[in-house]
Amino acid sequence: MQLASKTYDVTDIHAVQELYHSNGWTDGLPIVPPTHDAVQACLEWAMMAPDQLLGIEPVRGVAITAEKLAINAVMAGCLPMHFPAVVTAFSAMLQPEFLLHGATASTGGCAVFVVLNGPVRRELGAAGTFNALGNSDRATAVIGRAIRLALINILEVRPGGIDRSTIGHPGKYSYCVAEDEEDTGWLPLHARRGLPPEVSAVTVMAAGAPRQIMNEWTTQPEEILETFAAEMRANMRHYSIWAGNYALIIPRQLREHLQAAGWSKTDVAAFIHRRARIRRGEWAEVGKAAVVRDRGDTEYAALESPDQLLVVAAGGPAGGFGAVIPPWLGHKSRAVTLPIGACVDCEPPWR
Amino acid sequence: MALQVLDPTNETAPPLGQTAPRLASLAGKTVGFISNGKEGTKGFFAHLDRMLREEFGVADVVMRVKSNYSAPADRDIMDEIARWHAVVTGIGD
Repeated sequence: MQLASKTYDVTDIHAVQELYHSNGWTDGLPIVPPTHDAVQACLEWAMMAPDQLLGIEPVRGVAITAEKLAINAVMAGCLPMHFPAVVTAFSAMLQPEFLLHGATASTGGCAVFVVLNGPVRRELGAAGTFNALGNSDRATAVIGRAIRLALINILEVRPGGIDRSTIGHPGKYSYCVAEDEEDTGWLPLHARRGLPPEVSAVTVMAAGAPRQIMNEWTTQPEEILETFAAEMRANMRHYSIWAGNYALIIPRQLREHLQAAGWSKTDVAAFIHRRARIRRGEWAEVGKAAVVRDRGDTEYAALESPDQLLVVAAGGPAGGFGAVIPPWLGHKSRAVTLPIGACVDCEPPWR
Repeated sequence: MALQVLDPTNETAPPLGQTAPRLASLAGKTVGFISNGKEGTKGFFAHLDRMLREEFGVADVVMRVKSNYSAPADRDIMDEIARWHAVVTGIGD
């Protein structure tokens, strides 16, 4: 396989690290050397030609090719089997509604939150239980990291360059979770977002850091979800009031209470839509009186509609800990879900 | 062990537009402002408007605000740029 990228001859693994760090090609952590064979293996696994175009970033007109994405995936530690998820995630980020340039350049400092669904999770060993949002497993670690390295190297999203984040957050190293579809009767995220449950899928969302909640002192769905809604209201007061995609990470212990009471994800979203609201005047209580103006009594909802809520079943089996993952900035960027290696609702070729 | 590794960057420069020739003077010219609409832009552009008119003899200042401060300028603003001699943008947070 002929690759187009420039090559560098280096003496050993240490020289590789220094070459990549000194050129600003890393996230500060060591990388896996992207050799011809390793990159070719990724491309072959995904059945992609090196020059296959994933898309063109519309603001700066940068073409994203399979070869460049594969190089960055290898650097992140991806095995060939991880690469299709990276391709799908990046393709989703290139959809216009994701607003890739704005989301990656903003002072708001969000990261790309990636949710894996479907059979691919088990093929890759992507775990959605213990430590789900942390260092839970190899697959989610390297897929999330591949997204960041590709942004750094292909789109020059480097701190102080295109990336103007004021503080950013640790999810910018890697921010990927697999939904725990086995330990729930709930419909998985991708199925709620219109894909067949049997396909594998990736959902991407421009997201702030997770805000952890805890409620281990009730079995009532309304009380459990009120804690999540309160955290969303806190985000609206302290960070941004604008409605957009929020993700809720609901662990097994809390899910069991909700499911025992017959609550589906649809019920969860409807409740959160009703409860996650503040009046603009509340800004005055948190030091933002200057921008309340004459709209103090105006009510703002965290979600424009219940379906903006991404409910994700994930987390270890014990503990009433969950998380609210807020949007980067309202609906300026919208979450995108795409199937991995499948074409859903496509016209058959013979038609 | 010697290794041969690949360049992870885009390598080819994105197709940037060309910079317009600099104006010899702003006197009598029309200057456009493209604001991202953020709170911090208001005082800045108001002050710049006064400065350009009073100190540099600018004939007209046109203020336009993007509909989404994180996205490129709207098509109608881009179309209007051709009627201006100079543009100030990328300012304010």
